[in-house]
Amino acid sequence: MDFLISQNYVNYVCQCGLLKPLTNLYFCRHCLNLRCSFCCHHEVDSHFCRNCLENIPSSEAKLRKNKCNSCFDCPSCSFSVLSARATTIQVPMTVKEKQEGEESSTTTSEASSGKMVAKKMYYLACLACRYSSRDVGISDQASQNFCWPEQEYMHANRFNTILNYYQALVLHDKQVKQDEKRRKTTNKSKFQSMTDRTGLNVSAIRRQMGFDKTVSKPKNKPASILPSMTEEVEELSEDIFTKPINLKNITTIEQRFTQPANQPESVKHLYPQHKNLSIKRSIRCRHCEHNVIKPEYNPTSIKYRIQQFASSHVPEVRIIKCYPLMPNKSAFITLKLTNPTMNDMTITIMELPTDDEEVMMIDEMKKNFESLTVSSKSSLMRPSLIEDPRIVSCKPTAKLELPDSSFVINQRDDSAEFDDEIQTDKKDPKFVIWRKANKIAIELSITPNDLKVNDEVIVGFTMHYTYSTVPSTTAEKKDSQQRHALNARVYLNVGNIVDYSTK
Amino acid sequence: MPLFETVFQEKPAIVMEIGSAYTKIGFCGEAHPRFILPTEIESIRDVLKKTEKNLYDQAVDFFNKIFFDYLLVSPKDRKVSFVESTITTPTLIRESFAKVLFHHFEVASILFLPLHLVSLSTLAIDTALVVDIGYKEAVILPVFNGVQILKAWQAQPLGGESIHDGIKASLILNGVKDEILSERVIEDIKVRTCFVTKQARAVAHRNNESIQPCPDVDYPVDGSDVIKIPGNLREFALEVLFPEDNDYLGLPYIIIDAIIKCPVDSRKELAENILLIGGTSSMMGIKSRLRDELRTLIKSEFYMDRLYIDDVKFHNAPSKPNFTGWLGGSIYSATDLISNSITRENYLKHPKIPDWIFYDGSSTRNQG
Ligand SMILES: Nc1ncnc2c1ncn2[C@@H]1O[C@H](COP(=O)(O)OP(=O)(O)OP(=O)(O)O)[C@@H](O)[C@H]1O
Ligand SMILES: [Mg+2]
Ligand SMILES: [Zn+2]
Ligand SMILES: [Zn+2]
Ligand SMILES: [Zn+2]
Ligand SMILES: [Zn+2]
Repeated sequence: MDFLISQNYVNYVCQCGLLKPLTNLYFCRHCLNLRCSFCCHHEVDSHFCRNCLENIPSSEAKLRKNKCNSCFDCPSCSFSVLSARATTIQVPMTVKEKQEGEESSTTTSEASSGKMVAKKMYYLACLACRYSSRDVGISDQASQNFCWPEQEYMHANRFNTILNYYQALVLHDKQVKQDEKRRKTTNKSKFQSMTDRTGLNVSAIRRQMGFDKTVSKPKNKPASILPSMTEEVEELSEDIFTKPINLKNITTIEQRFTQPANQPESVKHLYPQHKNLSIKRSIRCRHCEHNVIKPEYNPTSIKYRIQQFASSHVPEVRIIKCYPLMPNKSAFITLKLTNPTMNDMTITIMELPTDDEEVMMIDEMKKNFESLTVSSKSSLMRPSLIEDPRIVSCKPTAKLELPDSSFVINQRDDSAEFDDEIQTDKKDPKFVIWRKANKIAIELSITPNDLKVNDEVIVGFTMHYTYSTVPSTTAEKKDSQQRHALNARVYLNVGNIVDYSTK
Repeated sequence: MPLFETVFQEKPAIVMEIGSAYTKIGFCGEAHPRFILPTEIESIRDVLKKTEKNLYDQAVDFFNKIFFDYLLVSPKDRKVSFVESTITTPTLIRESFAKVLFHHFEVASILFLPLHLVSLSTLAIDTALVVDIGYKEAVILPVFNGVQILKAWQAQPLGGESIHDGIKASLILNGVKDEILSERVIEDIKVRTCFVTKQARAVAHRNNESIQPCPDVDYPVDGSDVIKIPGNLREFALEVLFPEDNDYLGLPYIIIDAIIKCPVDSRKELAENILLIGGTSSMMGIKSRLRDELRTLIKSEFYMDRLYIDDVKFHNAPSKPNFTGWLGGSIYSATDLISNSITRENYLKHPKIPDWIFYDGSSTRNQG
């Protein structure tokens, strides 16, 4: 069974020219075209923690640097989330605790009265790799939430000083430059435009050009950021030549990168890491800016507010069987087609476009889009760009004999789901083997090209189908329903050429 | 005029440095990258082998991951800064990235920042000899009074890759099975057991004098196999960075070469302002070894009368070496200089990425 689902035998051509299984495609109801994740526009919809399922508003997520306050990843194995474990310790009862509830001002008088009380303390532990927050010297905490000591970054202060210095410097430069411009607008130096363009190290260029050195210094550098060069360089310890090392105490590079700021070399410095948040994304058609996917806000919900999966709009094709596959010999292929919509569909199976036709289709698409872009230019909305449509990368290796007529697939009827009755319709053309509710099986004939043993046999066709738009609001009348004639290009990988001569 | 536009606070620019091995990503104005992850664009340095299309699709996948799995921001209308090794990043890469970001992700603007130059801003200095030892190569570029001395740049394939190749070859020679020596295992062996030894011991080793080797390490792989890492490998694996042959292309030599190509009156200052960046500079012992090697060289007969420098000094950036360049980008992008980015509108009008960085006119892209 596994091989049936792990490989895609039936692929549809997305509007952008990529081949994808139907389940990976979207259907834009406004453009009436197939779309895929590659040619759609993705947006972050909401932030949440996938461990505690807390929903975090985007502005807050930003403040928290996209980390969850309460969940921690294991810094050692980074596979699992740390869990708080409780231990009970005996502590001497203090005066403060005795007067519980009262407003005690004598907290200092912690002289124990000799009595011991049990107190719950927590530490963080990994269930997968036995890492514990005690390993790195974090003392147990009295509450399991929000009070784990934050790790300090040793360069934080120096970094801030330098950043402030640069921001002031660049700003000062800009002002000086503007002043200069105002003063001598007439004789513009030819270098000035270059500085404008590059912007890189404005002050340096000015100095190189012979500008007054003093103007570029808004103020002297704060003393704290002055020298960082040293003659002292950390020497290799002599121990390394004689003492054996214990691999268990040295971090791997993956462990180092879980803390990019510090990249600790010793496991003693592997601190619990706040878990990174996850996002739900919404996906938008680039041609019309409508959503094809919009998830529900609630992190526990796997539902969507908008979902335009192609599999609920476009007829699904499955291969039932195909044999025998020999070069230049005709073979029979049985396909099952399913209509996922609530309206009957008329299907016509046609030839794939030729290479020239495909190029023309692509040109047309580009032109259409450009006209769309031009017409909306006046509005404030800036339309998205489209990915350049591509020529389908797959070429059929067998010829399909086209059926001589169209056929109808009935609408989906959820109540008929359990009817087992196979219907045969005398009006159906000969190639229809059976039909059942919204499904139909057809048998066609294919002739593989002059292929070698084990070569893949690929057939393709254009499936022309009728599609009725469902009125999107109840206010719209049923008769506003419109019928469209749409095309989907389908490529089938029916199997490999078999060597019958040896059998 | 506000100190800096409020845009910085609302939508801080995304800062990326895409190295051949690791990608550093985060937001401008922050003191360290949010993530360091393996670069998943295979053709990043082998562009000539593949078509641009292929690179484009790979880049789309990788940026998707960066925006939606790591940074968790919609790229549309964001500012993006790229820190890149100006000299060694092929134009094709730069142009493909711009195309992917503007077309596919619709970012507001892109700013390309030269890695070596912006690294200086982490120290608030404007003269330094920047030595970047990464994965594919070591690239050296002097910056004097804020201007890159492009004619002096040096690059050699000395870095993580050459070290890994050496370790692998040596372990295979010792009878270790090829299958278990994946790139990950080799890198782990290097990072956890190897170091850069002292000059005296390296010289002794080279002259086949007998020295007491450092202890062996038993390295377990996948729970069952154990690889014996001989002390000699631990100690001398990184000697590939210091080859002693007639080509004189080892790290100390190319550093000196870079200095010697600079004007005489700048050399002393450069030699006393060496900044080591790139992940391989994290290896234990590398800085003190480089200092000793350089001191020996500047006192050697050959260089004594040519160099006019008497000592070397190193800087300590407020960062781990593998993200010093990124940090420079973070600082630059948090200032008003970000307004020099190429905007989407301009790009769509002229889809070419200008080589701003060569503003001093002497393009040396084809050198070497
Ligand atoms: N904390 C560390 N400790 C030890 N080695 C490290 C550390 N970080 C990175 N490295 C090593 O440094 C190398 C990667 O360095 P870096 O990230 O600077 O390369 P890169 O920028 O991807 O490559 P390049 O600059 O050549 O394109 C790898 O070989 C890695 O093993
Ligand atoms: Mg690098
Ligand atoms: Zn598509
Ligand atoms: Zn959480
Ligand atoms: Zn763990
Ligand atoms: Zn649409």
